[in-house]
Amino acid sequence: MAQLKRRASDTIDTESPWSGTGKSIHKKTLIEALENGAQVNGSEVHEESGNADEDESGSEEEQDGARKQRRVGQISAQDVQVARATAELFKSNIFKLQIDELLQQIKLKDSHILRVEKFLHKLYDTIQKVPEWEPTTLADVESYFKGKIVSVPFTDPKPAPSVQYKFDYKTPDVSLIGSFALKCATYDPKGSSVDVLLTMPMELFDKKDFLNFRCIHKRSVYLAYFVHHLSVLFAKDQLSEFLQFNYDYLNDDPLCPILRLQCKPGGSSEYNFYKTNFSINIIIGFPYGFFDAKKLLPNKNCIRVQEDKDTMTPLYNFSVLSSSTHDHYLKFLYKTKKQTEAFKDACMLGKLWLKQRGFSSKSAHSGGLGGFGSFEFATLMSALLCGGGVNGNKILLHGFSSYQLFKGVMKYLATMDLCSQGHLQFYSDLSPSSNLPTSRYLAEGFQTPTIFDKTTKVNILTKMSVRSYQALQIHARETFGLLSDVVRDQFSNIFLTNLNRCQEIKYDMTFDLDLPTQSVILDKFGPTEKIKFVSLENFVVNKISNVAKIALGERIKSFEVELVNYKTWFPISKRKPNSSSNIANIKIHVLVNPNESEKLVTKGPLNTEENTSEAMAFRNFWGKKSSLRRFKDGSITNCCVWNTSASEPVIFDILSYIFKLHLAENAKLSNSTSKQFQELLPLPNLPASSSLSVLSLGSFYNVRKSFDALSGFLFKLSLPLSIKSVLPVGPAFRYTTTCQPVPFAYSNPDFLQDVILEFESSPKWPDEITSLEKAKTAFLLKVEEELLSSNSEYKTFFARDESIPYNLEIVTLNVLTPEGYGFKIRVLTERDEVLYLRAISNARNEVKPELEKVFLKFTAKYLASARHNRTLETLAHSHPLYPPVVRLFKKWLDCHLLLTHLPEELVELIAMKPFVECAPYFVPGSVENGFLKIIKFLSQWNWREDPLILDLVKPEELELGSAVGSANGIDLDAKVSDSLRDNLTLSQIKAIQSNFTTLRKSDPQGLGIQFFVASKSDPSGILYSSGIPLPIATRLTALSKVAYNLIQTHGLNKQTVDLLFTPALKDYDFVVKLRMPTPLKLSSGVLETNGFKNLDQQQSSFPKDLSQMSDKMDPSFQLVKYLNMKYKNSIIFSSHRYPGINGGEKGDQNVITGLIRPNFKSPVKFRVNMDANVKPVSTEQVILNKEAIFNEIAVFGDELITEFEFN
Amino acid sequence: MTARVDSMKNGFLVIPFKLNPSDKVKNGLKDSSDRTDSTEADLVAHYMFMKKHLSKNNEEQNCLFLANLPLLTHAENLKKALAEILEQHGAVAHVSQLLHHDEFGLNDIDLSSLTSDLMSTGSAEEKRFTPRNTALLQFVDSASLENAWSALRKYSQEREKAKLVNWSFESPSMETFTNFYKPLDLDYLKEDIYSHMTLFEQREQQAQEETQSSIVDEDGFTLVVGKNTKSLNSIRKKILNKNPLLKHEKIVKPPTMVDKKAKQDFYRFQLREQKKQEISELLKKFKQDQETIKEMKSKRRFNPYS
Repeated sequence: MAQLKRRASDTIDTESPWSGTGKSIHKKTLIEALENGAQVNGSEVHEESGNADEDESGSEEEQDGARKQRRVGQISAQDVQVARATAELFKSNIFKLQIDELLQQIKLKDSHILRVEKFLHKLYDTIQKVPEWEPTTLADVESYFKGKIVSVPFTDPKPAPSVQYKFDYKTPDVSLIGSFALKCATYDPKGSSVDVLLTMPMELFDKKDFLNFRCIHKRSVYLAYFVHHLSVLFAKDQLSEFLQFNYDYLNDDPLCPILRLQCKPGGSSEYNFYKTNFSINIIIGFPYGFFDAKKLLPNKNCIRVQEDKDTMTPLYNFSVLSSSTHDHYLKFLYKTKKQTEAFKDACMLGKLWLKQRGFSSKSAHSGGLGGFGSFEFATLMSALLCGGGVNGNKILLHGFSSYQLFKGVMKYLATMDLCSQGHLQFYSDLSPSSNLPTSRYLAEGFQTPTIFDKTTKVNILTKMSVRSYQALQIHARETFGLLSDVVRDQFSNIFLTNLNRCQEIKYDMTFDLDLPTQSVILDKFGPTEKIKFVSLENFVVNKISNVAKIALGERIKSFEVELVNYKTWFPISKRKPNSSSNIANIKIHVLVNPNESEKLVTKGPLNTEENTSEAMAFRNFWGKKSSLRRFKDGSITNCCVWNTSASEPVIFDILSYIFKLHLAENAKLSNSTSKQFQELLPLPNLPASSSLSVLSLGSFYNVRKSFDALSGFLFKLSLPLSIKSVLPVGPAFRYTTTCQPVPFAYSNPDFLQDVILEFESSPKWPDEITSLEKAKTAFLLKVEEELLSSNSEYKTFFARDESIPYNLEIVTLNVLTPEGYGFKIRVLTERDEVLYLRAISNARNEVKPELEKVFLKFTAKYLASARHNRTLETLAHSHPLYPPVVRLFKKWLDCHLLLTHLPEELVELIAMKPFVECAPYFVPGSVENGFLKIIKFLSQWNWREDPLILDLVKPEELELGSAVGSANGIDLDAKVSDSLRDNLTLSQIKAIQSNFTTLRKSDPQGLGIQFFVASKSDPSGILYSSGIPLPIATRLTALSKVAYNLIQTHGLNKQTVDLLFTPALKDYDFVVKLRMPTPLKLSSGVLETNGFKNLDQQQSSFPKDLSQMSDKMDPSFQLVKYLNMKYKNSIIFSSHRYPGINGGEKGDQNVITGLIRPNFKSPVKFRVNMDANVKPVSTEQVILNKEAIFNEIAVFGDELITEFEFN
Repeated sequence: MTARVDSMKNGFLVIPFKLNPSDKVKNGLKDSSDRTDSTEADLVAHYMFMKKHLSKNNEEQNCLFLANLPLLTHAENLKKALAEILEQHGAVAHVSQLLHHDEFGLNDIDLSSLTSDLMSTGSAEEKRFTPRNTALLQFVDSASLENAWSALRKYSQEREKAKLVNWSFESPSMETFTNFYKPLDLDYLKEDIYSHMTLFEQREQQAQEETQSSIVDEDGFTLVVGKNTKSLNSIRKKILNKNPLLKHEKIVKPPTMVDKKAKQDFYRFQLREQKKQEISELLKKFKQDQETIKEMKSKRRFNPYS
């Protein structure tokens, strides 16, 4: 059946673009005949599909399928050829197959097409029945519509009553246009539209009617008259009960009202196309070539206000001109489609790509990402098929595959500047001759996006604003990079992700702009502005865009202005949409450039003796903020200086200042989410910390400085074995500690930063682990002695270290520096690894897994830590937002009591994912965006089936070839990146993937190890993730899912963000509340939320007797640790690791939650080695003795516990 | 609750100890559910499982095997509880010590003995493996054991709640927890290390003399190995192969010199084979890709609107 229908459509296809009566009727009879045929004769269908090979239009895959059925198992020459061809024509075989699948998914349903076509025929017939109308004066028109439902959708300004010209209606020329007519429409669950063009006959116009809205008004009356009669005629046919009539503006252009037809459900009429989710746009066009196109060039004036003949009216001119070229472009595109086999598929890919990123044909001048939809994509592609290079060389060839066409267009958009540096000109000639003039890229920019058609004199990018063009360009650049990626499969990032689904994730920041009094703006919207911008919305958006663009400069990558309440459709009884509230509520979405965004100074032009125009412009623009400053190099420059703040980004500061200056005095800008998220980060109790930017790493640099001094001293000591290296491995060295380091804040669990000390190699280290540790301690004792004798201001103490299970003899030397920081020094020798490995080989089989875990812990703590630290530290420098994001993520984990179960390194790697692998989004540019991207990633990632492979390298400036002229279609092959960067290679990724497969083979459900996080330094992927209990791993995913759903459904606001950071204690089996005798917040170096008043209370020294330090340590941590050891087998205990942050107002509270392992929830058989506190229920069965356990816990933490809760 | 169980099928006596329910727990329980009727709440008890320990080991004679010990059990409070039970039944028994009790599992694995036998004390304690949450209670003689056993048997059949023996816990103080953060005592540490290292050196010396030949590896390490080890390479390989990370990593063998030197495109058949292989690989990959696509399709991975 499907085969049959496709054939039917194809037959029609060859006839199109159909217009005029004869063809349409032909088509109608054809459909009817086919329908009858299909009902009567089923066997015919079989025959048809049997001949699939001859069917040229059948997709390649089907052909393959048919052949394969015939010769099962045999390798035919054709198979080889197909495999080879796809590898060459497409990126890879798999990419081609994916494209094929995708195109199948997004094509329109045949049944839907038939259904809507049925209505279209009815519509066509009805249109023919609309009576003609004699030329009528304006007054008569008005009286004609008086008392009728339909109003005339006159554009502002309404025609003056004195106008002399007449209005009339003559039967139009009807044709289908748009992607539906071209057969490259795609299915959209939100509904798609069919464009029907009614071209007004020439005799209705005067040659000069393009001036002063005349033709526009004529069209409005024409439309109203048509709508009136159409509704009457439909009512006669009983069709109006399910049809809805509305006016709309074509592409948001208020000069071009159209009729939109939609269906309501219900009724049994065969014409009701509600189920197809289509809407029909009836567009009224002007006759092609009737108005002189030269007079409608973008730089001409066509609306005369008094004697002014110079003000350019590009939007008006475009609206008039493009209304006459709909039909022409359809023919042009159709011609290209016939010449290029893969054109249709490429158009569909392009359309989907644009849709996923929020681009459309709608005008960008009234906000949004508009001006580049499927029509513009197809036209650009057609132009590039006829040339497009600097010398008119062809960018695309007719024989290209859909993938090559798509990639070619992407590359062109990514590399060629069509706005400020140059533009593309082409000829949309319809003549079939081959000596057509070619398209050509000209290095002359008009400061507005331009693809100029010399034939029709239309700039098809008129609807684009500079802003939306820039957005298009950065998206194209990213996609081009993805298409060139030879290592990983980027298909779903290019086509399958809908970026528009969640604005909070698509954009880094969103600002709400309130303009309470619009009078100021209305004042500025004078007659010249009116003819230039056509509508107030266009004017305001343009103003905001210009101001924001100049004000923010390099600080942002791109931005979008959105008029929240802007809607263009209105009932046919109204003249125009209710526009009063359109500009009251404006959103500005920003993509931040984090490398620049927090800079303190906005630099202007150099100060010179004579006042240059630039300097004047700068001062005028910035008003009193502008000042003169002398810089280090001696230059004196005009500039503005801003203040950083821990809670608000500088961008916000700038925008709220500049909008007040240039838009309205009382313009109110707000961005509560950024503020709220930034305030969630614990502030260090340091002077002026609230005015430090989130990106500031000053407190971390101080630790580093202190460490460098210490390590300098260490190297100078005279020891029996000289020191080979002192490696910093603690999280503060990579800027990822939850609390920022504060001097003397020793209650902070991260206060002592790990350092690994290696001596030069010696064969004398004991060959037994206890003795080895003792020998290490002996060395540390020596180090301590020497250090103290030479540097008396240091304080030291020794402590046992429990980081390696079962190795109870590890002792660390803890050094407290005079600057107030602490370092925990441990010794690594070349003997350690061998001993741990030997333990594995000597052990009984049943303890081997446990010993392997010990070895992994050792590797993570001693061997891999330095590299991990170095990698992340470097990456943190190229991604300035990574440190605050990972700190917030850690806080979130701790809030939900998960952090104690997850190794810090694992958390840091997971948080790195949105930074090193951001596609199809961009690298996070704000704290909230980075955090949400982590949550989104966690909520969607399936750890059981997919390995997380991170390429931990610095971001790469996209290699775009050498600027102009290199956008040559022929060298489309993905460039093998031969640069010196050490990205993961294909073989490395393959190896990691096979590691993952073997791991999952032995444990398909991931019961043992859920998280697989591999990178170049850890191809095994399990270094940090062994030993995480399954319930904790699944809880992380579940929590993220809930969080992400919450944000998707309710957006970001005070309540949802608070909810994100509220632990769900009810999910646990029981909760124990604790109160500690000493508050820990202040001594952890965390600033009280309500201001600076405790600043002076910050400890400023270590206690004389170092054993007093233990008074200000967290006892709950030890309690939980021992509970987990005691009940290891039956209950998982969790608690906050940072009571200083999550422990209430003063940091003296904590909770312990217990999760009873599932296998102990019901009675089990009694075994001696079951290791659980049980009570007997029968002579064989026992059950967990919960009451006794609770009692034990109560006894154990007697002095800490305040309350029990049982769920 | 069902009738009380006095012994398990596999011969363990069930010995209940009454607990004084903590107020905080009681409050919490009351809040969460009112359905817990008072009788059950009264019967908060800890159940220990006991059996006579039969072992050929000389040091483990006259022992009771205990399973499921309450929190922070040590010889003293166990003795006290036992004494109460014995008293009820007029029996006398003398406990000597509590063996193999490792409540928090700190010594589950003895890394020292796994890495070398140098430091072994030779005691059975080292080799012995008792499951967690179990211990041995040793009596001075078999008579004591028998006395205790019969008393415990009677006690386990006791049905009267009032006669159940109370188990008294000792709560650790706040200092117990914060003391974990205290610095190690320097003198103690020095002394400990000194004595350990002297012992170690002594033993090492002894061991060297016994094996007489020490093995020196290529880095100049003197590797001290057990009596059974013969050559260095074998143990080294054996040990390095134990790296658990290797299990998860594929090892790519570097090409040998012979492989490197051999020409791959000399004979015509080689070229032919190469081409054939290329094509078959291409095809194989193509088929594989088709399979993946099918799988992805079945998972509805191609819906751009999902």
